[in-house]
Amino acid sequence: MKWTIDHSSPQRLQDQVAASIVRGLNTGELSVDEQLPPAAELAAALSVDRNTVLAGYRQLRDAGVLEFRRGRGARIAARATPNGLAPVRDAVRETIDLAKRYGLGTSDVINLVKELS
Amino acid sequence: MTATVYTGRATNWLGVIVSGLLLVPLLGITATNSVDTTVVLVGVLALIGLLAEVATASDVRATCGRQGVSFYWGFAGWPRASYRLDDIAEATIATIPWWAVSYGLWWTPWRTVCTVRSGPALRLRLHSGRTVTVTVPDPHAALAALRSASTSA
Repeated sequence: MKWTIDHSSPQRLQDQVAASIVRGLNTGELSVDEQLPPAAELAAALSVDRNTVLAGYRQLRDAGVLEFRRGRGARIAARATPNGLAPVRDAVRETIDLAKRYGLGTSDVINLVKELS
Repeated sequence: MTATVYTGRATNWLGVIVSGLLLVPLLGITATNSVDTTVVLVGVLALIGLLAEVATASDVRATCGRQGVSFYWGFAGWPRASYRLDDIAEATIATIPWWAVSYGLWWTPWRTVCTVRSGPALRLRLHSGRTVTVTVPDPHAALAALRSASTSA
């Protein structure tokens, strides 16, 4: 699981920790019921405070992506996967609908995405 | 300043199965009423084996980043080992054949080995001459994180 934290970014560090987890979930690096590293260990590696990591974890627990179990750390919740991708999926669906209205097919949209990214 | 860190956790399934098998004589002892010296001896040995297995080799966590490479073994994250980037001469990926898997933490004067499955594992060669070989879930990602950490440092 890869974590990327930009200390000079205006985005809050705890949001970046949470974003790393959601990214890992979407790329398949993290799967359901997988245990995340203890906050102290991750914090030392990322050069952030332990409470920052915990705040990021808590944020995702409130969103239903993680669950905390006593003595077993933070784990990816069973219902996490569809929720994490939902906003992106909706946006892509809107894009496909819009492309259809302009007479573009699926392959045209894929080419456009490849060009832009 | 961007910090790229790789974390991974590998479970020692053989170790978990062996611990489970060690539990059988322990449960058997509690079921019998007669207290015999051999029974107690087998019980104590099984308990020591079980605790050693669960404490040190049930799983291994790795953290690779700018601070170097840290390994945390077992249930409680102890024993642990940290190698700073300055101490590491070379990091490579070693392919472990099935007959060379250690299934636990081995420490010899020249090598530290903790592999829990065959296939690719992360191997560090230190400036002191010691080699450290540890199973991580994705050694390529671990290596990439180490490379980006050493170039940005």
